[in-house]
Amino acid sequence: MAQVKNRLTPFFENITFDREDNELILNFGPQHPSAHGQLRLMLHLQQEQIVKAHPDVGYLHRGMEKMAENMIYNEFMPTTDRMDYIASSSNNYGFALAVEKLIDVEVPRRAKVIRMMLLEINRLMSHLFWLATTALDIGAMTVFLYAFREREYLMDIIEGYCGARLTHAAIRIGGVPLDIQDSFITQLRTFLDKLPANIKDYEDLLDTNRIWLMRMEEVGTISTEMALSWGCTGPMLRASGVQWDIRKEEPYELYDEIEFNVPYSDKGDNFARYRVYMEEMRETAKILYQTIDMYEETVKNGQTELMAHAPKYISAPKLDIMTQNYSLMQHFVLVTQGMRPPVGEVYIATESPKGELGFFINSQGGPYPYRLKLRAPSFWHTGILTDLLPGHYIPDVVSIIGTTNIVFGEVDR
Amino acid sequence: MAQHKVNYTQDGGLPVALTSIDKIVNWGRSNSIWALTYGLACCGIEMMASGASRFDFDRYGTIFRASPRQADVMIVAGTLTKKHAEFIKRLYDQMTEPRWVISMGSCANTGGMFNTYATVQGCDRVIPVDLYLPGCAPRPETLQYGVMLLQKKIRANKAGNAQKPKRLM
Amino acid sequence: MRAYTPKDDVQAKSYYTDRYYVAPQVPKQEVETDEVFAADLAALKAKFEVKESFIQVGQMVVYINANDIYGVLEFLRDELTYTQLSEMSAIDWLAKDNTFEIFYQMLSMTKRKRLRIKFFINKGEAVDSVESLFRCADWSEREMFDMFGIEANNHPFMKRILLPYDWQGNPLLKTYPLEGDEFAAWYEVDKIYGKEARDVIGPEIRDTARVDRYDSERFARLGFEVPKGTEITGNEEPNKQDYQEEGGVFLVKKFTKDASKIIDDPQR
Ligand code: SF4
Repeated sequence: MAQVKNRLTPFFENITFDREDNELILNFGPQHPSAHGQLRLMLHLQQEQIVKAHPDVGYLHRGMEKMAENMIYNEFMPTTDRMDYIASSSNNYGFALAVEKLIDVEVPRRAKVIRMMLLEINRLMSHLFWLATTALDIGAMTVFLYAFREREYLMDIIEGYCGARLTHAAIRIGGVPLDIQDSFITQLRTFLDKLPANIKDYEDLLDTNRIWLMRMEEVGTISTEMALSWGCTGPMLRASGVQWDIRKEEPYELYDEIEFNVPYSDKGDNFARYRVYMEEMRETAKILYQTIDMYEETVKNGQTELMAHAPKYISAPKLDIMTQNYSLMQHFVLVTQGMRPPVGEVYIATESPKGELGFFINSQGGPYPYRLKLRAPSFWHTGILTDLLPGHYIPDVVSIIGTTNIVFGEVDR
Repeated sequence: MAQHKVNYTQDGGLPVALTSIDKIVNWGRSNSIWALTYGLACCGIEMMASGASRFDFDRYGTIFRASPRQADVMIVAGTLTKKHAEFIKRLYDQMTEPRWVISMGSCANTGGMFNTYATVQGCDRVIPVDLYLPGCAPRPETLQYGVMLLQKKIRANKAGNAQKPKRLM
Repeated sequence: MRAYTPKDDVQAKSYYTDRYYVAPQVPKQEVETDEVFAADLAALKAKFEVKESFIQVGQMVVYINANDIYGVLEFLRDELTYTQLSEMSAIDWLAKDNTFEIFYQMLSMTKRKRLRIKFFINKGEAVDSVESLFRCADWSEREMFDMFGIEANNHPFMKRILLPYDWQGNPLLKTYPLEGDEFAAWYEVDKIYGKEARDVIGPEIRDTARVDRYDSERFARLGFEVPKGTEITGNEEPNKQDYQEEGGVFLVKKFTKDASKIIDDPQR
């Protein structure tokens, strides 16, 4: 069959191949297997060296902020899943927390513990995924297979909890919808007991691997000033010498009751970021062990509440809805019209696996947010490529994009 | 299919299998469906998971290729946005015949939950689609089943004839 | 009588609001209740005009003059250790009083405090770019330009970022419908096939739940598939769904349950 006609003009890059000043323009993406999604980079090259980089994003812009203005608060929850889809629950949580701060409700302790478990499982999933894909981009196929294997166990646990593998929607405004399933703790413990050995496996494969070191060390160095100026957060900032973790500095949920370290490095290169991710996985395992203990404590103390009690904003438990007239009416109104938070503004930042995930909500007292701004860490981690790539060589592009850990659902929203 | 059985491991005989061209070509085609890595959004992660350790797509002869020139099937895994739409057409045109398209996930099927200004309401507005997989995100099992259905579809077709144009345009 | 639909705000509206409903307020505290913020505000007031300030949900909000913004952010960064610009964007108040509200969300890592700088500009006015103070404003300002059409003075590359360069309209304005205008609806068709293809391809179907079992062009019933374009009568032959052809695939052994090992412990 002849090619179906279309009106597309060839890319300008394809026409002016070689320019007078000997600069080659290379188009990278938007569909490139190692761009971690739909990133398009326009690279100006002097031979193999990059002199100017121009990241072009927006190929996954789906209009989430606009959607938020047309949706009641609870309706928007599943949409947040699709932001950082590697760790969906952390987005759910960021949004839920922002709304909770707006309507000023306190979540019961048991729900907090379950949320923390979900968040940390998501962090592990995200880091494992990061390791898998970055290693694959650099050529370490084995690590990819190993890390995906471990990730599948976590997926099973999460699936047992909320029924979805990827897009969890596991957290509600005001708490969590369900208690964890019976096998959750045992499965999680089995997994965590194996995790150190697994992490050791990855490190044995990578840490002293010559190729890995050559492509990681002294490549993509971000200085502290540059990281701050570009709004880097999370592991990107911590690898550049700032020990800043929102869980530690502005604790939310019960993170202030938990012992954990914040790994950081002052090297700022790819390898430092890799090390930070690996250490964070260990810390996360530590946190998860503690949350298991906390959960068992709540069971002992008989704290079974899972949703906050705030009749104006949050539906009553199912039992009440089925038995009490007032709860049923209130549930009906909340589902059909949606909650109406007070007039005001809130910006709440949480530490998602990628960095500071912030939700800015401006409410005008209606059931729809007047303005919702999603502050996604990856947006600036992509922006930094503008300043970071020049001076590097083409093969470094892939490893730098890999270690920035960008997810395009979140960059473009 | 007529087969003349020769126990070639023992008798040292030549393996001979008699078949029709259609069957043998389609057998080859259907068992080595190379897919274009076209992970656009969340569904792309599930597509990767199907290729990774647990679900192991290689069993079906499905290997992900990064170049459209080497791919037989384009798995549109994720949200197709208006900004991206032109590239899907470019890539589809670059694929060699015969080519197939699997639209994975509700976003690629109909725009899904993103009923907004920036999302193409179904990738079949731009390229012809052979198979739609429901789900948000479809599980890797769904994708596997989809690939098996596609294999069936390929086997049911004649090998020699050029594919009929699938779209009015 | 037709219901009146306002043209300046086409976003979803609640269909019922109690006549006497008065929305409560998120409480605001005086800045003096927090020492750190009080000191910062005093320092800020000494150099710039502060129109209004309060603390809401633990963060200080300061309203300033639009043309002070560069100075204020520089002062905050260099003197008051607010070294990070977490976020900036705009809020559309065009329907109310023809203004945009711009906010800058700042973070001080040493004080562990966040504050928000805000100001209003009229429609058509530009803001001063703070790109040379915080590089991240480069992209944020482009995003603001893309979404609201607010330009930034002295910005090195004032172009759209999320939407294509040839896009028309600013999606986050309240006058822009969620599903886009006509330009958005036909964008990909016009671009790829040209305007005359509109008739062939047809309008977008925005109802995602739509299923029409009599339309064999777009829908197929699993188990009752027919070739594309066939008239559906309801007496279609059932189409048996199986995983493999009868007798297995050429050269591939049929899977037998007894001869295989079943792994029933997912945890190995
Ligand atoms: S169908 Fe769902 S999971 Fe797939 S890309 Fe769309 S939103 Fe993401």
